[in-house]
Amino acid sequence: MRPAALPWLVVVAAGCAAQPPPMPAPVAPAPSPSVPAAVSSAPDPLGPRPEPPAPAPFIPPSPSVSTAANGISVWLLERHEVPIVSCDITVPVGASSDPKGKAGLAHATARMLEEGAGKRGAIDLAKAIDDLGAHLTTDANADASFVSVTVLKRNLGPAFALLADVVARPRFEAAEYKRLTDIWHNELLERQKDPDATARVVYRVALFGTDHPYGHPWDGTLQSAKAITLEDVRRFYAAAWRPDRAILVCAGDVTAVELAPIVGSAFASWKAPATPAPPPVDPPAPKGPWPKLVLVDRPDAPQAVIAVLRPGVSASDLREPALSRVNGAIGGSFTSRLNQDLREQHGYTYGARSRFSVSRGPGQVVSWANVVTDKTGDALDAMLGDLRKFADGGMTDVEVDRTRSQARAELVSVYESVEGIAGHLAADASLGLPPDWEARAGARRDAAPKTELDALAKEFYSPDGAIVVVVGPRPVVQPMLDRLKMPPPEIRDPEGNVVK
Amino acid sequence: MRRSAASLVCLVSFISAAALFAPHVAFGQDLQIPFTKTTLSNGLVVILSADHAVPQVAVNVSYDVGSRMERVGRTGFAHLFEHLMFMGTRLAPTGAYDAWMEAAGGRNNAWTAEDRTDYFDIAPSTALPLLLWLEADRMRNLGPLVDQEKLNLQRDVVRNERRQSIENRPYGVEELELPRLVWPEGHPYHHPVIGSHEDLEAASVGDVKDFFATWYDPANASLVVAGDFDPDTTRAALDRWFGSIPSRGKPADPGAPGFSDETTTLRGVVRATVQDSVELAKLTLAWQSPRHFAPCDAELDLISSVLAHGKESRLYKALVYDQKIAQDVFAEQESHVLGSNFVAGALVRPGIDLARVEKALFDELAKLRDQAASSEELDRARNGYETEFVDRLQVVAERASLLNMYEAERGDPGYAAHDLDRYRHATAAQVLACAKKVLLPDAVVVLTTMPKKKGGSGK
Repeated sequence: MRPAALPWLVVVAAGCAAQPPPMPAPVAPAPSPSVPAAVSSAPDPLGPRPEPPAPAPFIPPSPSVSTAANGISVWLLERHEVPIVSCDITVPVGASSDPKGKAGLAHATARMLEEGAGKRGAIDLAKAIDDLGAHLTTDANADASFVSVTVLKRNLGPAFALLADVVARPRFEAAEYKRLTDIWHNELLERQKDPDATARVVYRVALFGTDHPYGHPWDGTLQSAKAITLEDVRRFYAAAWRPDRAILVCAGDVTAVELAPIVGSAFASWKAPATPAPPPVDPPAPKGPWPKLVLVDRPDAPQAVIAVLRPGVSASDLREPALSRVNGAIGGSFTSRLNQDLREQHGYTYGARSRFSVSRGPGQVVSWANVVTDKTGDALDAMLGDLRKFADGGMTDVEVDRTRSQARAELVSVYESVEGIAGHLAADASLGLPPDWEARAGARRDAAPKTELDALAKEFYSPDGAIVVVVGPRPVVQPMLDRLKMPPPEIRDPEGNVVK
Repeated sequence: MRRSAASLVCLVSFISAAALFAPHVAFGQDLQIPFTKTTLSNGLVVILSADHAVPQVAVNVSYDVGSRMERVGRTGFAHLFEHLMFMGTRLAPTGAYDAWMEAAGGRNNAWTAEDRTDYFDIAPSTALPLLLWLEADRMRNLGPLVDQEKLNLQRDVVRNERRQSIENRPYGVEELELPRLVWPEGHPYHHPVIGSHEDLEAASVGDVKDFFATWYDPANASLVVAGDFDPDTTRAALDRWFGSIPSRGKPADPGAPGFSDETTTLRGVVRATVQDSVELAKLTLAWQSPRHFAPCDAELDLISSVLAHGKESRLYKALVYDQKIAQDVFAEQESHVLGSNFVAGALVRPGIDLARVEKALFDELAKLRDQAASSEELDRARNGYETEFVDRLQVVAERASLLNMYEAERGDPGYAAHDLDRYRHATAAQVLACAKKVLLPDAVVVLTTMPKKKGGSGK
């Protein structure tokens, strides 16, 4: 069985929603309403409440770095508790490199990698991976492409050889591409029926605009997907996947001495072209104009998605680590202000959250909730009020301390599993961050003073000039939006197109 | 295809990694998550499992109560009650449970299923005394302090959970329909865990107090501490804080009188159709199947992989890859304590006749009943389970959860090795016999989700 039935989770808070991998790095936070002091009446056999010290700072270990014979950089972090290994290989080319009119090309290319590679067709390749009990995935996000494998140590050699086939020897057969595009088209149709996926499509176009490298969904649109040919995929692959652009990250029960020959033989014939690789796309900050109100009609929906959206930071911005604590306070965990207010005070929603994207160029900061339709206006009022108070007043001392403790604990959790480690490090590598970034970022996050946190709250969470997005039944929710005193709503369809 | 993240079922070891290296052995032998188990004088089972890989600790408290214990007219109550367990006591007023735990760098969550309700906390090692103190406080004190205001608030939250997770999510509607189609009236699995809006509205403060007094008894619970902690001081704290919680004794399990998981109550092909806001039609076939850990339960897990895990799996290869009539396929043994259900099905591509897809599904199932699966297929399935299991062992909260699952369902936290033996020793002949016995063509639910007619989207 699997988790029998539906575990009905009490909490939604932190990181539930399915997201493209290296996006959010929300940390935990804390509530604003100060907790009432316990009423002491009759003595209780429990005695006084234990008051734990703050958790000790956690300095994550950094990977060792080497270069394989054909030029691939290799990051390795050994972990020998459990006999399992996870490896991610990444190149710094993703959806921000999709050509105009071909949104989804990086996505299609990533998917085609595993539709047959080396001497195996699509079915035989899948069979070979599953025979080893291995888990192999391919993916593209805003800034990079990835191939990842997780496997028991005893099967690492053959599983790695399959990963190398996928990376260096994809077959790109026409019949498989036709099959994939049919499936992809249907997925894009299905996406329109999912309110959260629809909201994410609209965030992109509303904040960045369709001419910006981040202004489209990574998985494309119905129109752009149709325009992409297998020849486009081949060209994109040739430009993106070259050993001199690749970084391999492995974590788990393998030593450098064991790994080197595995990598060497699997990638022996993968050579970089003579021409130097261009630098990665470095998207500029979005320009507006804002504020803006965007409404997507979702007929008869029992809930509306409400969201407040602002431009964020680049991953390499030195303020980025501290921003995760600020995000934690307003919307990163159960006791964050948004969740406490919209859920625990008012019952408008099952959970309200915020997150910011971690990307090469300035990304986005979004606060959102799925709220019962007839409270859409009230819930938006509450969300905007919480954001305003946060931006104007900054963090409480309780929040400053709590988010530090939560950030420390969260970092520990990342380092519990080999997938967590390899995934985190590969995301860093794909963004051009150094191998010891996690330790450096952790120290900055830990040390950020209240003045810095307050300044970040003001800059990145103020509702002034923000974009408000609502996905819900238009006839019901539009009248509730009048009181926001925003410009008249821009109506968009679930693909992000403006509806006249 | 795509198996859902983790299969709760296969669990196992940590310590004797050596066995895992044996080549070509699907599952290592003698695998154990190390633990000690004691029972306090009030009946609370306490399981400790220390290791110090990371400075983190997990507490898992499982109560033997789920949606199958709900009375008529109160569907969804066990889950609603789970929410109320966070609403505070005299010592930890409303909001304090989460605020104090998060202030210490901890986090928590809980889930409710048909058979069980499970609460878990994860925190830096230094916060363990606080976690235990908070859990003991609510186990001892919470029920009588629930009032109308707390109930009203969490009822609103839960109704929004229902809207978000089911009503406003593609293919959510069928989850509400399947239980009543698969299980007969009067069976405790006849209704969905989330319950109905009407029943949630009907819940009263009196219901809450009764439910707490009946089911949230220390004798009806087991508690695991796993991770980085000192067993001696922790045992002393457990004795002090939990040992004196009064017990009325373990409540009787109502079971499913008159029903057996050995004999299906389904007669013929039971057809139903629901409308949902989706793009593609979906066909779901569902059977009653043997309970968790009964003969055929593990075999049906293996069958689910053979059918729908990976592009090479039978349903995917036939319906998606070759015939191109399905967008995706799925198969799963959903194991429960009183009896399970096995589901399999497909998302139908636009313009394809549903009857054709249904026939293709039934044809593949007939092949499973007619001829044994190959050893390649079964080894592949076993290897997938093994990796998933080892993967889970890395995470302290997962180890805590596994120990409590085995305690709750087998009375033995160390059951992991026995569990894995089921997969390791399952023969092709047994798998065939189970397919013949369970996946009957004439005792099956066929549930169709049809796209609602287009609304005025975007107009």
